[in-house]
Amino acid sequence: MSISVEHLGFHYGAGTAGLDDVTLEVGPGELCAVIGPSGCGKSTLLKLVAGFLAPQSGRIAIGGTDAGGLPPKARDLGIVFQNYALFPHMTALDNVAYPLKLRGVGRAERRARAGEMLERAHLSAEADRHPAQLSGGQQQRVALSRALVFRPRALLLDEPLSALDAAHRADMRDEIRSVQREFGIATLHVTHDQEEALSIADRVVVMRGGRVQQHATPRDLYDAPANRFVAGFVGHANLLDGTVTAPGQVTTAIGPLACDTRAHTIGAAVVAMFRPEAVRLAQGPATVNRFAGAILRDRFLGSLRRFDVAVGDGVVMVETASREVVAAIEVPPSAIRLLPPETHNLRGS
Amino acid sequence: MRIVTYLYLLYLAAPIALLALGSFGDGWTNTLLPTGATLRWYEALWQDPSFARAFRVSLMVCLATCAVAALIGLPLAYAIYAAAGRGIRVAARILYLMPVAAPALVLGFGFVLVFSSDELPWLGTTWLLIAGHVVLTLPYLMQTLVADMRHLDLGTLEAAAESLGAGFIARFFDVVVPSLGHSLASGLIMVAALSIGEFQLSNLIAGFLSRPYPVVLLQAFYGATGFACAATMVLLLLATVASLASVAANRAKRLVA
Repeated sequence: MSISVEHLGFHYGAGTAGLDDVTLEVGPGELCAVIGPSGCGKSTLLKLVAGFLAPQSGRIAIGGTDAGGLPPKARDLGIVFQNYALFPHMTALDNVAYPLKLRGVGRAERRARAGEMLERAHLSAEADRHPAQLSGGQQQRVALSRALVFRPRALLLDEPLSALDAAHRADMRDEIRSVQREFGIATLHVTHDQEEALSIADRVVVMRGGRVQQHATPRDLYDAPANRFVAGFVGHANLLDGTVTAPGQVTTAIGPLACDTRAHTIGAAVVAMFRPEAVRLAQGPATVNRFAGAILRDRFLGSLRRFDVAVGDGVVMVETASREVVAAIEVPPSAIRLLPPETHNLRGS
Repeated sequence: MRIVTYLYLLYLAAPIALLALGSFGDGWTNTLLPTGATLRWYEALWQDPSFARAFRVSLMVCLATCAVAALIGLPLAYAIYAAAGRGIRVAARILYLMPVAAPALVLGFGFVLVFSSDELPWLGTTWLLIAGHVVLTLPYLMQTLVADMRHLDLGTLEAAAESLGAGFIARFFDVVVPSLGHSLASGLIMVAALSIGEFQLSNLIAGFLSRPYPVVLLQAFYGATGFACAATMVLLLLATVASLASVAANRAKRLVA
């Protein structure tokens, strides 16, 4: 089963935030994460797919059939809410058994099936507890079990890890991924946490101002961001405004940068982007793109070190595992990517 | 701090203690404390048919008020919580809180005016008394229910139930009603306590044979002191039972929550 969204448009009121012409496809068994800053429309997208809001334009299909006009209860989607929305008066087992009860499954069978789901989530011992007696991670696993027990056509996750502390978040991330694989279910995962999205998604949709900025695999998103916004939102990036001044050369605030300019004409305005970890500490004979400068901030982060170097009129952020004294830095031309200067109304691949 | 608390408790408890003493005292005239010990006031109370009837009326009115308040209050609170517009919610809130702000006397006067007419000659019936108690107590129940709905984030719970396949009826009876069970119970105990002690409105609109306990109690004050004390003790007992039930309900809620 898949989720397919075509040219979706929705606005809460005239001139307010919403969605514009959003198109995306979540293939069978695929986990697609939707990320973006708050107000980018990702929650609205989820509500539209779930059926809690009706689109003003465009089309939503679930499992190949048009979901237009179907109420949420008829869409057959498993949804995990941000605060889990477990029923406080029901035990963990009754919570998981509830969707089966609604589908007319007999008492003995639905308890057995709900019990199986809880066992899979390592919660058999907590089956008779009420949500208030469970930890955040346990509630999260009950919510996930409840959303999957009736074998829905697709799974929607609304910031499922935001209520957990950092220590449990990484574990739950892996657990969501493995359960999702096991069920082979198309999953739309909305989150504001780009690290979470990169680590578990097959493909990531970056949104901003109600529009899709890029829809790509985590690796492409990181290595080949479509624009300045995506580059800055996903991971850390050095972003330098510049102009192509000669073939293979862009002039920026830190000086001329040698890089591949074949896609641009001379005089074109561009944004030169390179990741902090691509910058090398200069050693040996001088090569291209070598810069010296004063270190502004030097942060020791354990496994790595992140420092800012003032070069010319700009600043370069560098990440390295080296603890050596820095004499000069070097930006390999192959690590530099030229992005279009404007970010508005851009569409990724 | 502690001494203030004790003084306040003493101030609260002294009249009740004196009433209890007086109800067992043989005589109480021109002395600080009653003299002699007797159970005859309680016997007299037990044998007085008007007090026995008033006790039954009070219980009946209390139970009926609870039932009607629950039947009206739950759907009404739900409708107000689910109302789309903020304006509607505020307006509804002001409307349902009105009886708290307006003195019961005003309400009673209105009831007398409207229901003594030839078209609506219902003044003095038990049903009108119940209706009056519902009007007076409903705000307290509504307040409790709406606050609990917000606290539970009922809207999200319902959205979850809906996504799992529940229609409106299933959501209302599987999710809304049971998750509000405890606040409904504690709200109803409040309703019961208010109904049992209500005097102002009841005094104006109750018929002679359907007078609730507090109205009849007023008569006792014109008779022997010991009898009045005994009659008051019975009302206090009823009120205590109601507040103990409320505490028990709250404790049960805390255990679950």
